[in-house]
Amino acid sequence: MAKRTPSINTNNLTAVQIMEIDACTRCGECVDWCPTYDAKDKSPGLAPRDKIKRWKSFMDRSYGLRAKLFGPKPVNDDEMQEFSDDLYHCTTCGVCGTVCEVGINTVELWESIRANLVKRGNGPYGKQNMFPKLIKEYRNPYMKDQKDRLLWIPDDIKIAEKADVLYFAGCTAGFNQQVLGVCTARVMNKLNVPFMLLGEEEWCCCSALIRTGQPHIDDVPKVSAIHNVEAIEASGVKTVMFACAGCYRVATIDWPRLIGRKPRFKIVHIADILADHIKHGKIKWEKSLNNQIITYHDPCHLGRHCGVYETPRIVLENLPGARFVEMDRIRAEQRCCGAGGGVKAGIPDLAVGISSTRINDAQAVNADIMSSTCPFCRRNLGDGRDNVYGVTGTDFDLRDNPENEMQVEDMIVLVAELMGLSTKIKSQMEEE
Amino acid sequence: MDYYSGISFGAMIMIAFIAIAVFLYGMFLNIKKWSLGSTGYGLEPSNGSIGVFLKTLLAAIKEESPKKGHKQSLITTLVLDILLQRRILRRNPLRWFMHITIFVGWMALFIFSLIMFLFEVIELIGIELPLALHPEVLRDTMAVPNDVFSYILLVGIIIAIVRRLFISDVRENTIAYDSVFLAGLTIITVSGFVSDWIRIGLFVDYGIPEVASPPAAFFHVIISLLFCIAYIPYSKYMHMIAAPLVLLANKGGE
Repeated sequence: MAKRTPSINTNNLTAVQIMEIDACTRCGECVDWCPTYDAKDKSPGLAPRDKIKRWKSFMDRSYGLRAKLFGPKPVNDDEMQEFSDDLYHCTTCGVCGTVCEVGINTVELWESIRANLVKRGNGPYGKQNMFPKLIKEYRNPYMKDQKDRLLWIPDDIKIAEKADVLYFAGCTAGFNQQVLGVCTARVMNKLNVPFMLLGEEEWCCCSALIRTGQPHIDDVPKVSAIHNVEAIEASGVKTVMFACAGCYRVATIDWPRLIGRKPRFKIVHIADILADHIKHGKIKWEKSLNNQIITYHDPCHLGRHCGVYETPRIVLENLPGARFVEMDRIRAEQRCCGAGGGVKAGIPDLAVGISSTRINDAQAVNADIMSSTCPFCRRNLGDGRDNVYGVTGTDFDLRDNPENEMQVEDMIVLVAELMGLSTKIKSQMEEE
Repeated sequence: MDYYSGISFGAMIMIAFIAIAVFLYGMFLNIKKWSLGSTGYGLEPSNGSIGVFLKTLLAAIKEESPKKGHKQSLITTLVLDILLQRRILRRNPLRWFMHITIFVGWMALFIFSLIMFLFEVIELIGIELPLALHPEVLRDTMAVPNDVFSYILLVGIIIAIVRRLFISDVRENTIAYDSVFLAGLTIITVSGFVSDWIRIGLFVDYGIPEVASPPAAFFHVIISLLFCIAYIPYSKYMHMIAAPLVLLANKGGE
């Protein structure tokens, strides 16, 4: 009789991650905090604890004592596929890791297991399998021509040929939510902070590929990371500035891993620059929020993953006429918007379900404005807002907010408005 | 030679060695399994050599966290996260109290037993000990601390059982993996109390004479060695080793 082989392998898992599986005490704290489990009527399979239990069971069946003595016990395909589907419902927000009593680094664990499942043929989920092909072919997920990377820039914005700061705009601000790009650039101009752009040399950060367990497919994230880092270093800048939490996370955490060294430049978020200007009294405000209540949603990629909590708050607290209030579940314990981990692309209904809960958090503090610092949070919280208020068919980028409805807006757009700058994107200006 | 409770010292040594051998084999299997992983994110899996795990663990401990403000010295992790278990305290004070009593009780009794065992062996091989360190004297000296930490352990176990009996969410999510672990701890603790009570004659009125103490103590020792040493790598007890290592690798966690 042929010897059975293990049903699973350890591809993409580090030795420490395999140990993490054995460290879980099943205390259940992660279950109480998981936004996906909460939004899906507490479906048991979606609980982080259950996922660890199942993966441990697969590992034991393949490599445990019994497997050593009597040969591996198979894991049937249905069981594995069900596990994979459940794992892909996770937004990789990482709150399970924050509250984990033994400190398991769950975000990295889920991503590693996802990559293992993709190699096994069980992942990714739904439309997520389009990401590698699109990003490899177009260098962005929106199927836009690389030559159009700078098309979003209106004539009034000054881009330096050479500067100490480089603005890594990202695909979403460049192609999809251009208001974020133009507001960032106009604010930087107004603050007299010269900056340059990579233009056609800016390739997608590949966050979507890494988060969905597809970093190994044609090595697209690695190739992109090497390209981006080398292009940035060749430009001679000292600092790279991001206004997108997803790109910021990739640059801070994933780029060093992908290229095998630390990049030779400093990484900052636009909130860091704005907070510094506010501290030194260098921002001149032109308008006021007229006593509106504003609250801040920490993006997972900026806050929990990278530890940037303070500077966005400094900015929002100092907006003229703003009454800043905190919601329930903030900072490290923040509730995810629901867009991350490929969920917005793969399971959009779930993404809106989670964001609706977050909108409820903002409603509970009577917020007039819910602000964030991530285009994906902005998009998904906007969809959640529309879902909660029963509004359909709004054009999010035109900020179509009916009377008395909560405004969901990125911090940089609010800052631009209050500094008296135009928030119109190029196409809107051309229409006029 | 008879052990203090009447157990043959040779039999105990033999069981201890078996327990340690089973433990070491289980640890070997676990470390071998962990070593099937890679040495870093996105790298190819290793050849399964047992040194891979140690190398990866040390690298993780030394690695600087890219997260802002996530810097913590090794000593902080050891004291605050591993010994004082502040991550549990932050989340649930009752669960922390339950866990810290089990942890402190278990560790203290384990260390006391180890000390006693060492001095028994030292005396057995004929090394002269000061009077205060003679096994019989030492046993008397440790009687009170042994009692105190046994009761501390018992308090934790009772809370764990009560939680599982009366909190529906905890009860419904308890699986065999948890129950066997808790049952093992309970049997060890209760058998320890019972054998001690028999030894000091507390059960004489119930028809159990003091001479029944050795078999009771023997049962307690066997169960303790099997559950507290041999069974560790194959069960939920494994978290006692894996969890501190995870905390070290992740700088105290998020």
